[in-house]
Amino acid sequence: MSVTFDILLLLFLITTALAVARAKDLLAAAIIFSSYSLVMCLLWQHRGAPDVAMTEAAVGAGITTVLFLVAIARTTRREK
Amino acid sequence: MLQALWDNLDYVAPVVLFCIGLYIIIAKNNLIKKFLGLNIMETAVFSFIIALGVVDGGDAPIMGADARAPFASPVPQALVLTGIVVAVSTTALALSLIIRIYRQCGTIEADELREME
Amino acid sequence: MKKAFVAALLIITAIPLLIGVAALPPHGETTAPVHTHISARYLMRGAEEAGADNIVTGVLLNYRGLDTAGEVTVIFTALVAGLAVLITRRKEPGAKADSAARGDVPAPPPVSPVVSFVVQLLAPFIALFAVYVILNGHVTPGGGFQGGAILGALFIALTIVLGEGRTRSLMPRLALPWMQGAALISFVVVGVLGAGLTGYFLGFPAEASLHLVRELMMLVLEAGIGLGGAAIFATLFLQMEAE
Repeated sequence: MSVTFDILLLLFLITTALAVARAKDLLAAAIIFSSYSLVMCLLWQHRGAPDVAMTEAAVGAGITTVLFLVAIARTTRREK
Repeated sequence: MLQALWDNLDYVAPVVLFCIGLYIIIAKNNLIKKFLGLNIMETAVFSFIIALGVVDGGDAPIMGADARAPFASPVPQALVLTGIVVAVSTTALALSLIIRIYRQCGTIEADELREME
Repeated sequence: MKKAFVAALLIITAIPLLIGVAALPPHGETTAPVHTHISARYLMRGAEEAGADNIVTGVLLNYRGLDTAGEVTVIFTALVAGLAVLITRRKEPGAKADSAARGDVPAPPPVSPVVSFVVQLLAPFIALFAVYVILNGHVTPGGGFQGGAILGALFIALTIVLGEGRTRSLMPRLALPWMQGAALISFVVVGVLGAGLTGYFLGFPAEASLHLVRELMMLVLEAGIGLGGAAIFATLFLQMEAE
């Protein structure tokens, strides 16, 4: 059960990372990266690292995404 | 070899994520996209370090009345906490630079910037 | 051509990594080197030695306090560098100060009323949770940095919903530099205090009679990191957002 859950999370991570690579819309890429961070935080909680999971949820999925969104708003949204 | 890789699946997945991040950094031209790739590489490395400290059936390293061994190793977790902070600092500085580059040059595509020189 | 080059580079990177990973000790076994050296000692005696039930916080603030001081310096330097990069026209801040002095608050950007209402409704609870995470970091998961990130995110959400004019008052002009430097200042204060008590910079007294002093030193560090982190994130956001 635990191993299956782990493998599901890892597969989701790899899929979202590939989706970030493929997305032409930077806004979409940033939001996908936010979900990647959130699943990473689930994985770390599952591995017995609640401190790191909490940091990743607050910083990776929160602050980093907001900073990316601001940068996209101040520059361009489409990747050429 | 394949059996060893299957046993160490929690170490193999960060390698795959690391390579995806590296691919984004090398192959994409957009600077913001490159930094998304760098963030993916960073989290892959953190994930690898966390996986090193895991014990089968282990608890989080928090002592208390009802805590029982085994515990996951606390040292990798403390290292990664520091690493996450440094990662967000570099991202913030890099995005500031990207905004400045856009104001100055009007583009954030690496190849167009190279042509401008 | 470029695609072939990228693929070759990725393969050259991946193969040594995979070989190295396959040769590591099996995942999850307690005999691996990570678990046998200092980790074992931290787990055995960390709770009483470092004075924190949460061993990760104990390692961060007590055993590896200098590392954390370095981390705090990195994030403060990132703030300084970010501000230096983004300040272009000197006129703008002055113009803003004039309009603030006249009392006209810039109109908040259009936001969905549902989002606006929910953010304002939840704001006190989020702030309470952040303070809990900061002050309880040595017992439960959490700590100064996590709480600081939550506070900073709350400030950013409020700024997006209410507009910059109304949240500016949360960061008064005079107190702002002190808030941004709070983490560094708390490390210097606690470090010097530790030097006076034990003879080492950032040393924590181990005697049982000084238990309360040790607890207080940790709380000051946590609060400093939390406040400093929140102020730094909020300032970076405002600076990047300003046109």
